[in-house]
Amino acid sequence: MLRRLIARPEFGPFILLALELFVFWAINPEFLSPLNIGNTLAFTVELGLIALAMTLLMTSGEFDLSVGSVFGFTPVLMWTFVNGGMMPMEIGFIIAIVTAALIGLVNGWFVTKLKIPSFLVTLGMLLVVRGTALFITNGFPQRTWDAGGHWLAEVLVGDFYVGPFRIYMSLFWFIAAVIILGYVLNRTRVGNWIQAAGGNPGAARARGVKVDRTKVALFILCSTLAGFAGIISSVRTSAANPNSGMGYELEVIAMVVIGGTALTGGRGTIIGTVLGIFILRVMRNGIVLIGVPGLAYNIFIGAIILGMMALHSWLERRHHAGT
Amino acid sequence: MSEPLIRMDNVSKFYGRIQALENVSFTVNEREIVGLLGDNGAGKSTLIKVLSGAVPLTSGSIYVRGKKVEMKSTTDAIAAGIETIYQDSALVTQLSIARNLFLGREPIKGPRFLNRMDDEMMNQVARDLLKQVGISKNIPPETPIGSLSGGERQAVAIARAMHFESDLIILDEPTNNLGVAETQGVLRFVRGARDSGHSCIFIAHNIHHVFQVVDRIVVMRRGKVVADDIDPKKTTVEAVERVITGMSDEELAHALGPNTH
Repeated sequence: MLRRLIARPEFGPFILLALELFVFWAINPEFLSPLNIGNTLAFTVELGLIALAMTLLMTSGEFDLSVGSVFGFTPVLMWTFVNGGMMPMEIGFIIAIVTAALIGLVNGWFVTKLKIPSFLVTLGMLLVVRGTALFITNGFPQRTWDAGGHWLAEVLVGDFYVGPFRIYMSLFWFIAAVIILGYVLNRTRVGNWIQAAGGNPGAARARGVKVDRTKVALFILCSTLAGFAGIISSVRTSAANPNSGMGYELEVIAMVVIGGTALTGGRGTIIGTVLGIFILRVMRNGIVLIGVPGLAYNIFIGAIILGMMALHSWLERRHHAGT
Repeated sequence: MSEPLIRMDNVSKFYGRIQALENVSFTVNEREIVGLLGDNGAGKSTLIKVLSGAVPLTSGSIYVRGKKVEMKSTTDAIAAGIETIYQDSALVTQLSIARNLFLGREPIKGPRFLNRMDDEMMNQVARDLLKQVGISKNIPPETPIGSLSGGERQAVAIARAMHFESDLIILDEPTNNLGVAETQGVLRFVRGARDSGHSCIFIAHNIHHVFQVVDRIVVMRRGKVVADDIDPKKTTVEAVERVITGMSDEELAHALGPNTH
């Protein structure tokens, strides 16, 4: 029982997160204050939405470097339409989300039809999308404070208090995504196809699995959730900045691999990604609270990635050697 | 005489300007194990790829029980009852035995829109199949394929073909990289498949393995079938080796007797 528990890819991230929480709390008890927890959760779930979709995409053997750009571009597009009086917020939201989905479709088409590695395709898309966001805004943020009180803004990111904790609606979107994507990956036929597409695409094709279609759908999911997260963030911060989301792609991929999803595909875990999300966000928040210079953040993140990769690799070899 | 299970008539295949198959005619009868032999580049792999729908033929026809079929994809071949087990077993090492067995044809439980796999049913069927193909060790069906030995993986692939009632199971080098005991296990599975009503095409470089299990040997050379009715009980490994490497008609007739073309 204990051996099986230790062999699970989520075990290492779970211990690391518990350790982090304990160390930061021991050094500065304010770390677990309601205010700090509320603030950490608000931003964590926005990035987390992208990481959840990326988990499925990486399990299928691909990844998407354009998610940070889509995170910045989608709200810029929506607020350009809405602020310009061209359409109501609901229509702007739908158009922006559909555009994000189309970006994913293009990524998927290049990867599956033209057989270009996802690294190159999404690197190109990263530049195209970011460049477009900067071009249409002249590099200036779009104001979003008109959203205040609008029903859609309330549904996306409205906040309320549960005791001393300030909770944003985005937390529920995140929880819903965890449940739905966890179910899809672990319990459904599609989940089996995603794992097979990443594990042995040739074998999956030979069994009649539509590998390319599965991957295209996951690229679309990734871009759509990145756009959705960007819009949530823009409403919460009252600004749609064309530069926002820069560097998120690498942070999101780090969250996913720290959680135990294989970079090479074939194996993925939503629970592991949730742990990975919290490991990185808690680290970012905690080192500031205990007085470590924020500029040192990347040293810790890099060390965590290296440590977790070594642990996952060791567990994997041990698992195979033991059977 | 009844129609053979599989009949390929004058099948040719070109890769660009290179002809890989030249007017190949080839049959497999019901409940028959056919050994397909030939040196590297003889055309065995291309023939199998055409028959399994992995590559389209350039000209010619394929019939299943007398009915002409189009093999445009592996899905077409599977639908026609043809299952191919490649050297790497076409399995996904990260998935469990049960999920590999049902990959692409997973049973659904509950409302269709929920797309939920029936893991309980898949595990139960996997348990029964593993017993059926003679895996005596008590391996749970949730075990990832990556944890199994080479012979056990081949057994799982054969079990899959048997479960889905494939009429023809094509085994491409199934004994490659296997130890003696595992090889014997695979040969036993192949005989078991025939005994339960399936036909097989068995491709192996090791002619001794072929001799142990097949009913008939077909030899290919330079994209052509040069002998298609060799009875392993009436000839020797050395004689077949001479056919594979090429020899004159007189030598061929002398070595193999009147059945040779």
